[in-house]
Amino acid sequence: MNLPERPITILIAALGGEGGGVMADWLMHAATECGYPAQATSIPGVAQRTGATTYYLEIYPEKRDRLGGRAPVLSLTPSPGNVDIMVASELVEAGRAMQNGYIDPSRTTLIASTHRIYATAEKMQMGDGRFDSERVVDAARELAKRAVLFDMRKLAQESGTVINAVLFGAIAGSGVLPLPREACEAAIRHGGRGAEASLRGFAAGFDIAAGARPAPAAPVPPKRATELTEILRIGKERLEDYQGAGYARLYEERMQPFLAGDPKLAAEVARHLALWMAYEDIIRVADLKTRASRFERVRREVGARDGEPVLVIDYLKPGVEEFASVLPAFLGRRLVSWAERRGKLDAYNIGMHIKTSSVLGYLLVRALAWLKPWRPRSYRYGEEQRLIGRWLALVSDAAARDTALALEIAMCAGLIKGYGETHRRGKANFLAIIDALVENPPTSDAREQAAAIRKAREAALADPEGKALGATLGKPVVWLKQVART
Amino acid sequence: MERSFKEEVAKLRLGEGETFHGEAILAVTKALLQSGVAYVGGYQGAPVSHVMDVLNDAHDILDELGVHVEANANEAGAAAMLGASINYPMRGAVAFKSTVGTNVASDALSNLASAGVKGGTLIVIGEDYGEGASIIQERSHAFAMKSQIWLLDPRPNLPTIVEMVEQGFELSEASSTPVMLELRIRACHVHGSFVARKNIAPRISRKTFLENPEFDYGKICLPPSTYAQEKEKIEKRWPAAVRFVQERKLNEVFAGDMQELGIICQGGLYNAVIRAMQMLGFADAFGASRIPIYCMNVTYPLIPEELVEFCADKKQVLVVEEGQPAYLEEALLAILRRHEVGHVKLHGKDVLPMAGEYTGEAVLTGISKFLGKDEALTPIKNLKDKAARLLGGLPQRPPGFCVGCPERPVFSAMKVLESSMGKFHLSADIGCHLFSTLPPFNIGNTVLGYGLGLASNSAVHPVFGRRTLTMMGDGGFWHNGLTTGIANTLFNRNDGILVIMKNGYSSATGTQELPSSPQHSESKAPGMSMERALEGLGVGWMKTVNNYDVGATMKVLKEAMATKQEGLKVIIAEGECQLERQRKLRPVVAKQLSEGKRTVRVKYGVDEDTCTGDHSCIRLSGCPTLTIKDNPDPLRRDPVATVIDGCVGCGLCGENAHAAVLCPSFYRAEVVQNPTWWDKLVSRIRGTAIH
Repeated sequence: MNLPERPITILIAALGGEGGGVMADWLMHAATECGYPAQATSIPGVAQRTGATTYYLEIYPEKRDRLGGRAPVLSLTPSPGNVDIMVASELVEAGRAMQNGYIDPSRTTLIASTHRIYATAEKMQMGDGRFDSERVVDAARELAKRAVLFDMRKLAQESGTVINAVLFGAIAGSGVLPLPREACEAAIRHGGRGAEASLRGFAAGFDIAAGARPAPAAPVPPKRATELTEILRIGKERLEDYQGAGYARLYEERMQPFLAGDPKLAAEVARHLALWMAYEDIIRVADLKTRASRFERVRREVGARDGEPVLVIDYLKPGVEEFASVLPAFLGRRLVSWAERRGKLDAYNIGMHIKTSSVLGYLLVRALAWLKPWRPRSYRYGEEQRLIGRWLALVSDAAARDTALALEIAMCAGLIKGYGETHRRGKANFLAIIDALVENPPTSDAREQAAAIRKAREAALADPEGKALGATLGKPVVWLKQVART
Repeated sequence: MERSFKEEVAKLRLGEGETFHGEAILAVTKALLQSGVAYVGGYQGAPVSHVMDVLNDAHDILDELGVHVEANANEAGAAAMLGASINYPMRGAVAFKSTVGTNVASDALSNLASAGVKGGTLIVIGEDYGEGASIIQERSHAFAMKSQIWLLDPRPNLPTIVEMVEQGFELSEASSTPVMLELRIRACHVHGSFVARKNIAPRISRKTFLENPEFDYGKICLPPSTYAQEKEKIEKRWPAAVRFVQERKLNEVFAGDMQELGIICQGGLYNAVIRAMQMLGFADAFGASRIPIYCMNVTYPLIPEELVEFCADKKQVLVVEEGQPAYLEEALLAILRRHEVGHVKLHGKDVLPMAGEYTGEAVLTGISKFLGKDEALTPIKNLKDKAARLLGGLPQRPPGFCVGCPERPVFSAMKVLESSMGKFHLSADIGCHLFSTLPPFNIGNTVLGYGLGLASNSAVHPVFGRRTLTMMGDGGFWHNGLTTGIANTLFNRNDGILVIMKNGYSSATGTQELPSSPQHSESKAPGMSMERALEGLGVGWMKTVNNYDVGATMKVLKEAMATKQEGLKVIIAEGECQLERQRKLRPVVAKQLSEGKRTVRVKYGVDEDTCTGDHSCIRLSGCPTLTIKDNPDPLRRDPVATVIDGCVGCGLCGENAHAAVLCPSFYRAEVVQNPTWWDKLVSRIRGTAIH
């Protein structure tokens, strides 16, 4: 009798706390009950604490009672090019498996969820540090013999279970293992707690992998406005909402000189201008926080059911700058320059937990929003408009020389964002680049200048301490509070 | 405890002929009982935590057998417990992770090995080496050699491992020498099966008492006994061990038709060797290999006779020995030379890596080179190259603090303080809190060992013009930090700031109980307190802070930095480990909900229209549920922060937003489940009034 030459190998890449161990137990149980020699191992250790970890199984596809007392030697570690089923509970972990050579076009069935759980390194960037998911999906299609890819986390949530159940279903449904569906379901039942929910998740994963039902469509990413006309329309609407029709007209007037020029430049200027003009001052924040749509969104995000009251408590901590921003210009300026001189910008913040969903809390925050008509006379309004004017003039001047250069300058506006210290840092970075590379350029070559600005802008987003930007510009960017020495 | 071991405990009861299915480290536990062990101890740590975890849950069975079980204070305590077998013919076993645990235990182990044992003693070491390891990368082999403790490295399948436990006790008794059983990470966690035997009640035990204490000066580690003991090791115990290993055929020879070649491997690597040869076409699925293999289930002492015999008819032999230094390879070179087996070309570290785990790939590469089949590696290289081309660099994903972890806020507070006070030196310690050294915090300058944070700060503090910080967990405190760190600092009149993370458990190893845990199993004494111990030692400045209050934590850190008071300042940072807290909370909440009782669920969130996507909040937290998503604003590009499902409502993100004055986007939502008529009424009034 001809015995199979080798075991079927299964490598599971999971993150700590996703139930990878339970899934390995299910597989072991099903294989053992079916009479196949099987072995599973893992390297949990501290990776259990949210890190990337793996489980490895081998199942010899001939029943034990037909082996004449012989036992196959099963390996404890996977080998590249020697994996039959690669399971990844998250997309980048599937990518990691590919990088380690575990996915072979002649052999490997890849079963992976397409959702992302971002690594700290991706999340903590000041801009967009996310790894491009498409690259993993494309690579999977090229490297795997068969790739079963869909958002299993979503399916698990819909089934009221954990992702391991859906993954297990997809493994069984892929048809690579000699384990009948009933044996797998029995293994889940044997596991006990939460079996019913797990079986629902298992069935969903099984059917999709077996081709009995289509994979759920990937969620549509939010729309990006890229065309000039669309941006102008959104910008106008936003600014009308922000400060009325007159302010929206100011936006249109400011855009006027760019409309005849390069459309890409015009679109980028229009986008940044709209965002900048709708700067987030205390009035705007109060306005956004007290809209009916906001309370609806909160209910949705926290998963409140109908009839369940939701209390919303906002964490606000306004300080000198927020207070100054709504003062008349001459008072605000004095207050801020006094606070800057004394290093007191962050000294008087008042931490507040405001129950915005209560009548009193709502009125308190809403009252700030009612200051909207006053805004054009405020200190911050003047400051912002002056800087916007300066930026627009620089972009406009550059556009006459070189479109690419103008585009780089326009994009520098994106550095200014956030609140408090974040805002101060962004503004200082912006001013440092404008000063060193736009108003006092080290080169007269427009292309070189554009490249230098791009490099500086990327450096500004490299670290929050401003080290990279300081190194790029050759002088420190000063925005940090004076470090107190004791 | 992080998980319950009820099901596993039942497996310890299996009788003669019944089949055990499960994890190897539990099979070892069962094998200890089958060997008639009288006492078991150890200290938790991956990959052997489960030995102690299961035994702690198995008091019924142990009481029936009369087996004494102790969760030792540290590995030194565990090893010292083996001293019971010096005078009395009772079998004992301890387990800890290695090499760190063996390092701590080595004082007791040296004395134990010198005195020699009457009863069999087995030290089960989880060799925390390679992928998944959490410690410095070293070999335990050196300990065996220097103290002369026999080292077993069984083939990684349950029947062999179980057999080696039983043989190990006999070997120990036959040679009056303690024995180490080395299990690598994957071997500890391997699931398989073996046919059980019945448990044996020890002859001397808690139920059958000794009457007369034995006195034998020859067993005391003091001159002149120590000189005699060393001689006895060489003259009696070693030869006895070699004889035993030979007679019992503990090392295995697997014949093959390619007589001119041979492979000598550590038992633990046997399966990897077979797999590599299968892939190269030199072995079948059942391990029948064309190349003869000498598999060393005992890696110390070596059996020169067997080695010489195996090599005698070979031209080339490959030694597959994981890690460095290459003790086996070098010893084998010496043996062959001494026995004038000159014709064998010995390979090993020339084709295999000197450092690092012997993964499937490493062994395959080595054996391919040994056999001159380098071309077998080309497809693997191609696969990797292609993946690298298609993917580029992927983000790394190291472990980190759990959702709601009470330790994270302390580092948030430190990070905020750094921005106003400048960076400070922090001597870190072993425990989950060491994750502070990873992004986003990158706090912690050195780590020197478990409970040694404060001791490692001793010479750092005096050379800084301002105070430095030290971290210690409550686990490290009880492991040895109390004496090595705190008593030492006080005694030497050192200054400095010690932050003790009081989360209540030995969390990194699976939330085992500590003397100061908030609740205790029946077998442990309640009411031991770190605070009282510190007072007793005379700590003059001690403050307790609720970790989740980042502002308060910052304040107390500043105070400790600024106070004029000399001497050690201790901050007890209090917050129960969320793994334990949630484990207790979950059933309570589920019960409340099912009974229709009013329950408030707290979740935090970020307003997507006020978040501008700078992610300062993430740089101060690193919470797995505080993450990012596509910006819903069509004009913006940078992703916004968001709180996803799984948030336990610890409140750190809101606290950080306050403490660091980040932004107004964070909110706390309280969802009232099973609302009362009052809740509904208030909600209706609010709804009407607001909109």
